[in-house]
Amino acid sequence: MMNKSDNGGMEPGTADADLRTSARVSLLELFLLFSRLGLSSFGGNTSAWIHRELVEQRALIGETEFIAALGLCRIMPGATVVNLAVVIGRQLRGPAGATFAVLGLLLGPSLLVLTFALVYRRFAGEAIFHTVLEGTAASSVGLMIAMGLSIGAHLVGFGRNRSRGAAAAPAALAIILTTFVLIGLARFPMVPTMLCLMPISVGLAYFWPASRRDEGSDASG
Amino acid sequence: MPADEKTLAALALVFAPLSLVSIGGGPSIIAEMQHQAVIVHQWTTQREFADLFAIARAAPGPGTLLATLIGFSAAGWLGALVVSLAFFVPSSLLVYGAAAMFYRWRGSAWHTAVAAGLAPIAVGLVLAGAFAIIDIEEGSLLPWGLAIAVAACRLWRPGIHPFVLIGTGAVIFTLVTLLE
Repeated sequence: MMNKSDNGGMEPGTADADLRTSARVSLLELFLLFSRLGLSSFGGNTSAWIHRELVEQRALIGETEFIAALGLCRIMPGATVVNLAVVIGRQLRGPAGATFAVLGLLLGPSLLVLTFALVYRRFAGEAIFHTVLEGTAASSVGLMIAMGLSIGAHLVGFGRNRSRGAAAAPAALAIILTTFVLIGLARFPMVPTMLCLMPISVGLAYFWPASRRDEGSDASG
Repeated sequence: MPADEKTLAALALVFAPLSLVSIGGGPSIIAEMQHQAVIVHQWTTQREFADLFAIARAAPGPGTLLATLIGFSAAGWLGALVVSLAFFVPSSLLVYGAAAMFYRWRGSAWHTAVAAGLAPIAVGLVLAGAFAIIDIEEGSLLPWGLAIAVAACRLWRPGIHPFVLIGTGAVIFTLVTLLE
């Protein structure tokens, strides 16, 4: 209804067109909006909250625009939600918007988590306190492993649909294993290792993409 | 805790570069954070690192706030501030600049290749991070058993909310430890 620019085509400048037509939102509003999103998101589903609030309820940003922004925020370094705050804040209010959105997203949770840390310091001596945290950490590690395995299986092409434009399965598997062994087991320093691995992996994806036929049942054995 | 300039500089020098290689967000740099904080600079012990990881995961907001907590452990409030800036500003500036380019080049071959090439690296880093949190030298198999059980539940029943899994896991872990 309100967001005319939603079907605005894919030509360059769509983003700027959106910038002009989208409903104006004050910097304070943006700050408070992202504060609320940051504080109400538990367990790493903040992107979904942002989508619900900004796209579905307030229609501040179009659906296609949001999906594109999310794709960008996932591949860039930095926490996906922080990146999303930067990109959406920029879309709505330029540099100031990006700053206020990020401050909103991080300030409340930072203060809260530091309060937790102070409580932790006081009770760190209590064995039971440490045990509960150890159980929480181990369970969270389980979630990380599940996430790594499910995305990894997706990239390597076990079963279901592979992501569009993924690298060839052997290349993806080789990169996953190399990264895991170098950083996780051999404990190479991360920054130089990344500077070597990233161009290799991107090059492999560019020159050796998964062929369309691979994307069906063939798991490339 | 005294926040001497050397510690603050070291914190900035560790976290600013990490900011720029944290592909896929927080989990990807946990292995390196643990290495720097526990082994290289001894800002935290292994036990404290794992506890802070749990706190960052249990609190609202991005799990990357673990970085802020390490800064706080190393050098108090000033340390937390320095790490927050060093860690969140560089990647934010990068994505800000990339956003403009991104909308212009969406769908091009190299754009697709960058996305496809970074994905497997992020996966390898996430799996590496799992090894950095659970203390292998401690000798107990319980944390690994729990982690694998939670991972299996998550893959088997994706519909269960992650927080239910974490909560249940923590309760079971505490009970088992108390009974031992």
